Amino acid sequence: MSESALAGTRVVDLAQGIAGPYCARLLADLGAEVIKVEPPEGDYARRLGPFPNDVPHHDRGGLFLHLNGNKKSVTLDLDTASGRVVLRKLLADADVLIESEAPGVMASRELGFEQLRDEFPQLVYCSVTPFGQTGPYASFKGNSLAAMALSGLMYITGTPDEEPLCTGGEPAEYFGALHAWVAILAALEHRAKTGAGQHIDVSMLEALGCADEYNTTMYAYLGAIRKRFYSRHAIPTYPSEIFPCRNGSIVVIGGATGFPLMMAVLIEQPELESNPLFQNLWLRFMQWEKFEEILRPYLAEHDWEDLLTRAQELRIPFAAVLDARTLLENEHLRERGFFAEVEHPELGKVPLAAHPFKMSETPLRVGRSPLLGEHSQEVLREVGYEEEDQLVLRERGVT
Amino acid sequence: MTLPLEGVRVLDLTQVYAGPTCTRILSDLGADVIKLEGLKRMDITRNFVMPENNGKDDYWNRAGYFLLRNGGKKSITLDFSDPEAVELVKRLVPYADIVAESFTPRVTAKFGLDYESLTSIKPDVIMISLSGYGQTGPWRDFTAYGMGLEPASGISSVTGYRDGPPLRTGISFTDPYSGGVGAGAVLAALHYRRRTKKGQYIDLSEHESAIPVAGYGIMEYALTGRMPERIGNRSEWYAPQGVYRCRGEDNWIAITVRNDAEWEAFCYAAGHPEWENGRFGDVLGRFKYHDEIDELISSWTLEQDHIEAMHLLQNAGVIAAAVLNPKQVLLNPHLRERGAFDLIDQPDVGVRPVAKQLGATFSAFEPNSAWPAPKLGEHNREVLQGMLGLSDEELERLEEQKVIGDTPEGAVPLDVMRMFVQWPTTTFQQMGTIAGLDTDYREQLGIEGTGSKEQET
Repeated sequence: MSESALAGTRVVDLAQGIAGPYCARLLADLGAEVIKVEPPEGDYARRLGPFPNDVPHHDRGGLFLHLNGNKKSVTLDLDTASGRVVLRKLLADADVLIESEAPGVMASRELGFEQLRDEFPQLVYCSVTPFGQTGPYASFKGNSLAAMALSGLMYITGTPDEEPLCTGGEPAEYFGALHAWVAILAALEHRAKTGAGQHIDVSMLEALGCADEYNTTMYAYLGAIRKRFYSRHAIPTYPSEIFPCRNGSIVVIGGATGFPLMMAVLIEQPELESNPLFQNLWLRFMQWEKFEEILRPYLAEHDWEDLLTRAQELRIPFAAVLDARTLLENEHLRERGFFAEVEHPELGKVPLAAHPFKMSETPLRVGRSPLLGEHSQEVLREVGYEEEDQLVLRERGVT
Repeated sequence: MTLPLEGVRVLDLTQVYAGPTCTRILSDLGADVIKLEGLKRMDITRNFVMPENNGKDDYWNRAGYFLLRNGGKKSITLDFSDPEAVELVKRLVPYADIVAESFTPRVTAKFGLDYESLTSIKPDVIMISLSGYGQTGPWRDFTAYGMGLEPASGISSVTGYRDGPPLRTGISFTDPYSGGVGAGAVLAALHYRRRTKKGQYIDLSEHESAIPVAGYGIMEYALTGRMPERIGNRSEWYAPQGVYRCRGEDNWIAITVRNDAEWEAFCYAAGHPEWENGRFGDVLGRFKYHDEIDELISSWTLEQDHIEAMHLLQNAGVIAAAVLNPKQVLLNPHLRERGAFDLIDQPDVGVRPVAKQLGATFSAFEPNSAWPAPKLGEHNREVLQGMLGLSDEELERLEEQKVIGDTPEGAVPLDVMRMFVQWPTTTFQQMGTIAGLDTDYREQLGIEGTGSKEQET
């Protein structure tokens, strides 16, 4: 078996919720050993579902499984001095610590970066929070919705006459996870050069804000304040819109080349090639409603699979609008092995979104999430706690 | 100060958004990135967002969109349609630790630039391909734009108003996301190469990159057989949650109440303690009567300034955030104090605030992000002469043959492109795609009279 990219790297994951834990899962998939330290009642994401038959159970949450594959779970009450003694033993061999507490909470437990740096100079200490460790909003409470609002991305998402819209799936959490993951890997390279660990401060708001394609740029270059306008691009490459079709929806994108002829051929009305709405990009952009009058009836009579295949044959970059079912059934993803089946002791066989990239020499791992405290004994034994000491810690509610 | 990727060189064949974001992050972390474009195949984002909407002269060196993803890189022009140019690209490979490309899958093999060919030139090279749908599978040859990949990733199926159609985020969501995924994948490969001296090939699918964001809904279907629904701005977990209209034109506030204590805090902060008890007093009631609660909350927010209400509620311990428009984002005191924007002095443009491409602050080093974007072909001589040792005569000949140069030769004549790159902003305003147009925006941003452009004139 080949070696993993991060073989030999040890991560202590104190984070709860989505952003921090998903970052740690990305490291685990690359081969790092990730020890997830949870409070005795468990990471609160264990309560977020979805659950089979909608019956809550701390070991049966679907989101928790999605975020915590390949980790070991150790329960530890960090609000007790005894719990913190155990944590320090875990940190002795650790390369990375990830935490997601509100700023100041770790320091109040004497586990802040400054308090640990002398004892653990090798440690890459990553904090993932909604708005970062500093600045006027550092103490604000937040979530993906709030980060969407402050990032500017919500203002430009949705339809013009309705309220600004949050993207589904908690995107700021995942952008935060992604940027924390990149930053930790960068800090490990930095440590290889200098020998020193460091503190990384990841703000979900800023990670999401990095995704701002050109909206702040439109103001900084033109003084123009972009507003939400359905599903289309501000850059006038209309059409770039989601339309209904006979059996669902389809993303209609004209593309940089080939329009108007290819679009006219696609909708089986080649004479439209000479229509001014097909020939003139600006006209089409401005009189989009007239253009849609031509397009919509044709789309309404065709299935997305057919439209997608024929558009792509003409090199027009149409795309599918997939949902949970059509993603899991998708032939392309199946052939690439994107969804992996994991065997979970409480859930049975479950499809799990695996990895968006393949590495030729260091294949990524797929694994299930741990049961609450599943590895407490094993991990505590490794750092020197005999069975009888573990019993005391368990009885006192430390683990 | 040591940067993590000092001494690492990237040969960057990517264009547009996802690939350039990946290599831009590597550049910020200290890598030397040489971006390759062709005179006949210039990065199209050099056509997007002109300062003062001015498409004259060498406009392709001033585009705001291009600056965002390409600051700090070197630019060389070598067009793949010329066999000599392809040979020069191959001669650059030994100097590269990483080769990044974003063509559709069949292209690199056609030019002998696929991973196998590259390893015969440089055995420990790390190559990353960022393509729409990956290098394998029935959709591998599909052409892909970021604006299509977000719906294809499943995210749009759970984005939209209740009972409304699927909607897309107002950005090409999967591009910045997969750019970040690409940067992480390359860093992992560097980690492995450092230990083993072995390079490798990374096949990244931009489509797959964003699918995990839809993970909750996928799990809902997998575990319950129920299809996730579009629920607007509401939450699966908490009630009430929503985006509520505030005083003024198109001003809004996002609010989430997670438990009884936060509901009590909200009611008192809003000056309506009477809302706390009765039907809305417990979590069941707040889910059941969400519509009515939304009306009550709106009746309060309509009288509030969205920024002030955010502070009021946050001080009371309630999750609240003003919905900022792009201008307000640039002026936001929190983001400014945190340094979320670099002030970059772009030649012939002047100083502009540019959003960072990595949302992390490091205690041991500062990313090398505040650099202007290169002009087209700006580093032809430095790279081709400095690294490959081409003579002045050879460079001249290549220029005459238009293998290298500084002026694009697109399929569309430059005069037509000049019209395209200047936007009919007044029409945008009438259509409602922009909410406002400030002529004094540079003054408002505090960048008036700064930078090299103003100093020259």
